[in-house]
Amino acid sequence: MDERAPLIGKNLDHYRILAQIGQGGMGVVYRAHDEVLDRDVAVKVLATGAGQTLGRDHLLREAQAASSLTHPNICTIYQVGKSGDEFYIVMELVDGQPLTALVGAAGLPFEVLARYGVQIADALAHAHDKGTLHRDLKGTNIFVTREGRVKILDFGLATRVGSDLLSEVTRSYAALSTSLVGTLPYMAPELLRGEAASQLSDIWALGVTLYQAACASLPFPGKTGFEISSAILHQAPAPLPASVPPGLAGVILRCLAKEPAQRFQRASEVRSGLETLQGATLTGRETQQPEHRGPLRMVLRGIEHHAVRDGDVLLLVGTTKGAFLLRSTRDRKRWDVAGPYFHGHGVNAMAYDDREGRHRLWLASNSVLWGTFLRSSDDFGKSWTNPAEASIKFPAETGAVLKNIWQISLGGPPQPDVLYCGVEPAALFESRDAGESWSLVRGLFDHPHRPRWMPSNGGLILHTVVPDPGAAGTGRMYVAISAGGVYSSDDGLKSWTARNRGVRVTFMPEKYPEFGQCVHKIALHPARPERLFLQNHWGIYRSDDAGESWRDIANGVPSDFGFPVVIHPHDPDCVFVLPVESDEFRCTPEGHLRVYRTRNAGESWEPMSRGLPQKRAYETVLRDALTADELDPAGLYFGTRSGALYGSRDEGRSWTRILEGLPAIVCVKIAVVRQPRPPRRAPRPARAAAKRSARTQARRRK
Amino acid sequence: MGVTVHIPGPLRAFTDGRSEVTLSAPAATVRDALDLLGSLYPGIRDRILTEQGALREHINIFVGNEDVRYTGGLATPLPAAAVITIVPAISGGAHKQE
Repeated sequence: MDERAPLIGKNLDHYRILAQIGQGGMGVVYRAHDEVLDRDVAVKVLATGAGQTLGRDHLLREAQAASSLTHPNICTIYQVGKSGDEFYIVMELVDGQPLTALVGAAGLPFEVLARYGVQIADALAHAHDKGTLHRDLKGTNIFVTREGRVKILDFGLATRVGSDLLSEVTRSYAALSTSLVGTLPYMAPELLRGEAASQLSDIWALGVTLYQAACASLPFPGKTGFEISSAILHQAPAPLPASVPPGLAGVILRCLAKEPAQRFQRASEVRSGLETLQGATLTGRETQQPEHRGPLRMVLRGIEHHAVRDGDVLLLVGTTKGAFLLRSTRDRKRWDVAGPYFHGHGVNAMAYDDREGRHRLWLASNSVLWGTFLRSSDDFGKSWTNPAEASIKFPAETGAVLKNIWQISLGGPPQPDVLYCGVEPAALFESRDAGESWSLVRGLFDHPHRPRWMPSNGGLILHTVVPDPGAAGTGRMYVAISAGGVYSSDDGLKSWTARNRGVRVTFMPEKYPEFGQCVHKIALHPARPERLFLQNHWGIYRSDDAGESWRDIANGVPSDFGFPVVIHPHDPDCVFVLPVESDEFRCTPEGHLRVYRTRNAGESWEPMSRGLPQKRAYETVLRDALTADELDPAGLYFGTRSGALYGSRDEGRSWTRILEGLPAIVCVKIAVVRQPRPPRRAPRPARAAAKRSARTQARRRK
Repeated sequence: MGVTVHIPGPLRAFTDGRSEVTLSAPAATVRDALDLLGSLYPGIRDRILTEQGALREHINIFVGNEDVRYTGGLATPLPAAAVITIVPAISGGAHKQE
């Protein structure tokens, strides 16, 4: 170090060297002042001595690789220079501390670690996307600024994947008698076996880094290099202390799978995994006056919110422990995850209202302690209403108490300000002012059948609202109650008629009663408003006469017990269900997770399983946890009670697991975000419809 | 003297962050005090009482060290300078045995 001291106070070109601040892999790092741009920078000067030539080449490559990376969490390279005999790299001066210095004896608090981890993984994902590996990720290469921003330094051993440089560097280091590139405790087992570095070895190093930050010790400790290598190759990571939350431990241990194929395959998956773990802190916004009336708003902190663009697709996922928002572009290939929103609260109903130029998310949060509240967000989840008064309340004279909101539905096209909520105990609420105020629909609540409705397994709930689809419709609106059955109203919610003829009740002495059916879901396609599909507690049904009568169409499904039923958005003959074995064993039959599709309105059904687990997949998909988007080809999505989320971009032909490890998923809804402004190019509905129709015809012929 | 109410963390969003609120107007019963609190800080009432005015199942109210469920519920009379504490049930089921 002393030999470098003479540089201090001198200039390298227009950089005045002020002080030494570190010593990295291949050089000494100084704080310097850029006299042209008048700013402080960091200058890394190549060390003299053995291997200097090799070191210089490497230093240049480091700069080339790193300078192609522009990311808020990667230290920026400004310039590479040579002054006399000195090669140097000028980079962003990071005012912060290495991650290792911030980790106390007990490790970082979970929220802090998750926040840093997300940034590190995001930076790594960016570098990998650019074809650059870090190759030496570790706590001392990761700095945290005073503002809490992570900066990864020293892509010092990085090299471009797939270029000739890879073999060069390997040779160079072999010649330097340091046959391994990296820092031993962070090295993946395959590197120790002499395999090439890869994104997956970076993900391993990320796992070691997170492990160390979580509990202040290494996963593979040892006194000697041999002990450490041996542990990395053959031993399981030392157990994490109980203070590390299981979700975080799961992410870390998956990074540390010995078999690279069993790790997260992309740094972005690690980021998503950490993001889903990030808790939200509910904080009321400061108010000026001591007394405030009307809905408050709350900002959810600790969540990296989505920046949503025109054309993006949002998945709204409600779980027993909070809501998650997943965002993708229209290709629906990669999903960013935000949440949990209202963590710890059950979110049983969500909806997206894009009528009248709105971009409003709706959500019902249910806390065992504090009750059920309907909330909305006009900024895709950054802030939510936190109503002073619950907007859904049973009137005093009913004596009823709201337990849960199970459904939020939009009114049909002629009623752009109408919203409905289906609640527990079974009742329908209506808003005519876009959700500002709500009232109990008395016509249904005062129905003479109501006292004889019976609670089902999930309680006595009104879970489905199918509004009149408008001009082309029958003027009829439907609700479904478990266990009460289907009811419809033709006179604007005033009077209601049971519509259950032909729907069997297995558990009652009378098998075809007027009402009391435990209907699980009903669905209607606006293009065929006289037809409905129904998934019953045993039995799949279709009505072709607006609910006047029903007939069983469960022709060939492995079980006619199930919860959701969804109609293809562009093809009213195409319907999807997700059968479970029985009311006793509410899991997918024989451990096969399969969606069943009919393309002839229920005359026959076919399983769709490509990409879905077919072994020991005893899953349950609840009534609102299957949905379709309206793109072409349509996307399908469902979530399971075990917290896995699956998606298909090709109408169910093939599936991918989007996410796993969520709390039990209760509802999955979709929002395709469209700006209210008129599109630049005039839409060509006739052509699109013709194309769609041709596709539908082709499919029918198949 | 007035009645002091201790506000649990999740409700402080409605009390401008205050963990303790002193009611200056007189309150003869717990219900009076909660009504007063609710009018001073809208948002609290619907979170501790149902729409029918009953205490939510998993919310406990203490006057001094006594749980009001055993002293007359919301009609429990308040002594002078009473201290009321709103306590969310830790297990979510502390009163199931009732």
